[in-house]
Amino acid sequence: MYELFFKKMAEKITLTSAQQDIIKQYLIPKKIRKNQYLLQEGDVAKHAAFVEKGALRAYSVDDRGTEHIIQFAFEGWTISDLYSFLTGEAATYNVDALEDSELVLISKAAQDEILKQIPEYEVYTRLQITGAYLAMQKRLTSILSLSLEERYINLTKLYPNLIQRVPQRMIASYMGLTPETLSRVRRKIKDK
Amino acid sequence: MRTKQTIAIIGATGNMGAAISKSLSKGNYRLLLFTNDKNKLKNLEKEITTAHPGADVESINCSYTASWEADVIIVAAPFAAEKEIAEKIREVANQKIVISIANPLNETYDGLVTAPDTSAAEELQKLLPNSKVIKAFNTTFAADFAQPVIDGKKVDAFIAGNDSDALETVSELVQTAGFNPVVAGDLSVSRILENMQLLLIRMGIKYNYNWLAGWKILHQ
Repeated sequence: MYELFFKKMAEKITLTSAQQDIIKQYLIPKKIRKNQYLLQEGDVAKHAAFVEKGALRAYSVDDRGTEHIIQFAFEGWTISDLYSFLTGEAATYNVDALEDSELVLISKAAQDEILKQIPEYEVYTRLQITGAYLAMQKRLTSILSLSLEERYINLTKLYPNLIQRVPQRMIASYMGLTPETLSRVRRKIKDK
Repeated sequence: MRTKQTIAIIGATGNMGAAISKSLSKGNYRLLLFTNDKNKLKNLEKEITTAHPGADVESINCSYTASWEADVIIVAAPFAAEKEIAEKIREVANQKIVISIANPLNETYDGLVTAPDTSAAEELQKLLPNSKVIKAFNTTFAADFAQPVIDGKKVDAFIAGNDSDALETVSELVQTAGFNPVVAGDLSVSRILENMQLLLIRMGIKYNYNWLAGWKILHQ
């Protein structure tokens, strides 16, 4: 239920089994089915969700009703509306499941409680937030300065199973393209 | 809250379980109904979807899976069954809201089987130490759910628990069911709430309220 969660943590910090047991007390095991929402825009993101199994996405919807995918999350990733989670303000993202998924949820209060009891966890959350920041910078730079072909190739490196697990229209949405433009980009790469 | 919450109802086909399930199917909730009697369960599901075609309701054959998917778990079972249920769902009920509706009545309905310094809710909390146990729906009879306004007054439904977010969530549930939620205090107040229902049951038997009766605090 928490295997991958602790495995990922062990890549960054060393915890005793007693410390793991303390953390476990604060975790919420949650199963969610394909197409179900974990969070809808307007609500406060009360949890950050770690993906043990499955796939989710975070997206915003513009005035015309078009979805803009901000992030995908597969096994080992964490997803939420981070802004809402950290500030307690209403979320501007929706988070829903692309596959039947098994999650480990952690609330802000639980996180604060763990931080008080386990100093090593502070290092872990810092690395996680740093990682999220770096990923965002990369995404921003990529949008501003890379060619579409380069962006697509980088994306498939970032999410190795993306093409198998996510429909083309969602990849297009993530890249800010129409599905037609995306298929032109893919053809171009193939022809090279 | 816009995000649909999933509620597992364990013991969904009992008097109270069925009343709660039907009542909550009106709200923005996804209901997972569990009980050991599969036929009864199918009938209840059918009854709910006939009354509310848009209801998001599903029968499920495992209390563990239902609780794993749930955000809120309602243990709609007698006090005597709490221990067995708690053991089954403990792992997946971690940090979740678990609603205790039981009144620990004795066989002759004239006393409680719990010691004076505890309650059914507090005993459930001991069995589920990492869950947020909330006492609710114990001061309302099953018949009240179909008619939450009695004699022109909306029936009060008392809630007790230790976690403020959980109390808020359960207040919304109670409101959806049509009652007036009153947060009575921390979980130890469940002792008073369970005794209140003992009194109401005794008065109901004595004066023949026909199970359609409830509490209402009159105030200025």
